[in-house]
Amino acid sequence: MKNVSVLTFVVLIVIVLGLFFVSFQVRETEKALVTTFGKPTSSIEEPGWYWKWPSPIQVVYKFDSRGHLYEGLMEETTTKGGEPIIVTSYIVWKIGDPLQFLESVHDSKGAEEHLRSLLRNTQNEIIGQHYFSEFVNSDPEKVQFEEIEIEMLASLEAQAMSDYGIEIKAVGIKQLGVSEKVTQDVFERMKADRKRKTETILAEGNAESTKIRTDAESKGTELLAVVEAEAKAIRGSGDAEAAKYYKLLEADPELAMFLRDIEALKKILEEKTTIVLGAETEPIKLLRGVPDIKPKK
Amino acid sequence: MTDKEIEENSEKFDVNQGQEELDVANKSLTEALGVSFSILKIIMVILVILFIGSGVFSVQSEEQALVLRLGKIRGVGESRLLGPGFHWAFPEPIDEIVRIPVKKVQSLGIDSFWYFMTEEEKLGKVSRYAPATMNPIKDGYCLTRNDSISGVEGTDYNIVHSKWQLTYRIDNPERFFRNIYYRAPNPGEDFFDVTADMVEPLLRSMSADAIVTTMVKYSIDEAIVSNPDIPDNVESLLQQKLDQIDSGITVVEMQIAGKITWPRQVDDAFQASNKASQEKQKLITEAKAYSEKMLNEAGGPDAEQILVALKAEDLSEEQRKSLLSRLSGSSQEQIARARAYRTKVVETAKASAEYLHEILPEYRERPRLVLQKIYQDAIEEVLNNAEEKIFIQPAISGKSKELRILINRDPLIGKPKKSE
Repeated sequence: MKNVSVLTFVVLIVIVLGLFFVSFQVRETEKALVTTFGKPTSSIEEPGWYWKWPSPIQVVYKFDSRGHLYEGLMEETTTKGGEPIIVTSYIVWKIGDPLQFLESVHDSKGAEEHLRSLLRNTQNEIIGQHYFSEFVNSDPEKVQFEEIEIEMLASLEAQAMSDYGIEIKAVGIKQLGVSEKVTQDVFERMKADRKRKTETILAEGNAESTKIRTDAESKGTELLAVVEAEAKAIRGSGDAEAAKYYKLLEADPELAMFLRDIEALKKILEEKTTIVLGAETEPIKLLRGVPDIKPKK
Repeated sequence: MTDKEIEENSEKFDVNQGQEELDVANKSLTEALGVSFSILKIIMVILVILFIGSGVFSVQSEEQALVLRLGKIRGVGESRLLGPGFHWAFPEPIDEIVRIPVKKVQSLGIDSFWYFMTEEEKLGKVSRYAPATMNPIKDGYCLTRNDSISGVEGTDYNIVHSKWQLTYRIDNPERFFRNIYYRAPNPGEDFFDVTADMVEPLLRSMSADAIVTTMVKYSIDEAIVSNPDIPDNVESLLQQKLDQIDSGITVVEMQIAGKITWPRQVDDAFQASNKASQEKQKLITEAKAYSEKMLNEAGGPDAEQILVALKAEDLSEEQRKSLLSRLSGSSQEQIARARAYRTKVVETAKASAEYLHEILPEYRERPRLVLQKIYQDAIEEVLNNAEEKIFIQPAISGKSKELRILINRDPLIGKPKKSE
């Protein structure tokens, strides 16, 4: 009884330990390369648990299969028209073919070195095929920035895979600039542009304000004209109506005239008047003496 | 008993004794072994329990977890991702637990497009000095285009500085786990410490790419007023790029931190242009105020509308009247004056006519008397109102008299004005 349990126990331990020597796991995020007697024999891309002969018969190399970032250096290159520009690019890459990768590049460090020169060459080549006006243009339709990035990707993809077993997932330009000397000219131009704009703005302001003012004035004039016409009409209707009454005065025109004159007289001499009259004027002539009147019969 | 027999007996006895000794020894050994084996068995059972028990783990509320069984992700579909709570898995090396933070919104500042600032400047000290050129290594900037003028080809570009703030979230942890490289956290580190090293540079590079690509399409005027289309475009472009590499990262928002600004080297020119804009606004506002005031004075607040309505073709009298009655201001005064005139004129005429007809019968009977009365009353009134009255006796003889009157007296002396 005891012997059997001892035996089982020992066997179990041996098996478990042994497994470490004859099998290996490939993690979801890894790719593996199996070499037999130093020569690569198979590459494994699916995760799982696999058998192998114990080393040194078979050795397994594992690589992280996820996307890595490579940031390029700031480089100066020229466009098709000969204009210098400064670009900094980046690459997101993965291991595509572990075999090729191991043979040509070995590891991530090595990969970066190769990618550096590959990126530089591609940059120079592709950018050299495009004019500066395809990077920056007053007409946004003419800007080919994204297309240029796509071209760089295409060019890199093919070479990276065939030469290094590297799969390029993305390429981008993360900084676009111009050489230092040029910036001074750019500033001068920006200043000149701004100055022109400033003048235009002020001119527009003046023009518009003038327009608003004259507009208002003309409207005001128009309104007053309309109103004046109306006022005239009102006065006219008043005069017409008065005329109807004046017609009634034709019953005795002389009397009417007299009454009118009397009113005028009263009005004119209302204030600040000095009157010089002959003493014969009634009722002033009363000042002379008692009048000669008799009662009525 | 013979000696031989005695010897044989003692030999047998010795052997027996030896055997007995062996038996005893055997027995204690087996006993001992038995005990240790039982202990061993108990220990083994405990170990197995511990082994299984150590497979329990918990997932925090801001995390999700994946279990890798022998390297492969365990489970199918939705159940692959484990949410917060307690779970069990085989301990290593059979199962491996990978934790990924989700839902936690993280943010990242992007400063690569800002000019170089010394430590003092960063703390707030404003330096008037700006170098004449922009060093691409120290200073960051973006290129923007100039305004488009139809028919004119231009590759003139402008330089602007910008600062951005990116907020992001890992929405699809499985994708993220599979496609983005990050090293395992060292003891004492958690996932977020690792992201700073691994994920942020990637986000920075891709964001910068999106920013450069977008800014080039906008003009400098659109940029310096922080046209909201710009960060929207950057956002969608960045999301596109992140999706292209199957990152499982979602852009929550891309914001301009502050505003996009012109380089310090051209500050004066741009400030002047800003002032000009303000000046223009001021001129227009003043003009509008003047215009309003003018029309208000002329015809009241609705003057302009009423004028337009008055100019309509077929307007009935009533409509005209009602429109005109809505006018105020000097228009109203004018109309009021006209109305007053009319009233006065009519009333005067009416009064005159009525008065005439009133005295007409009596006048026809006693004309002289009526005239005299009216005349006297009038003269009385006139003389009453007069300031100075001078009566001259006519010359008894036909000789004419000379009369000298002193004029130019003090104009202040006089009767107070009669109130109407």
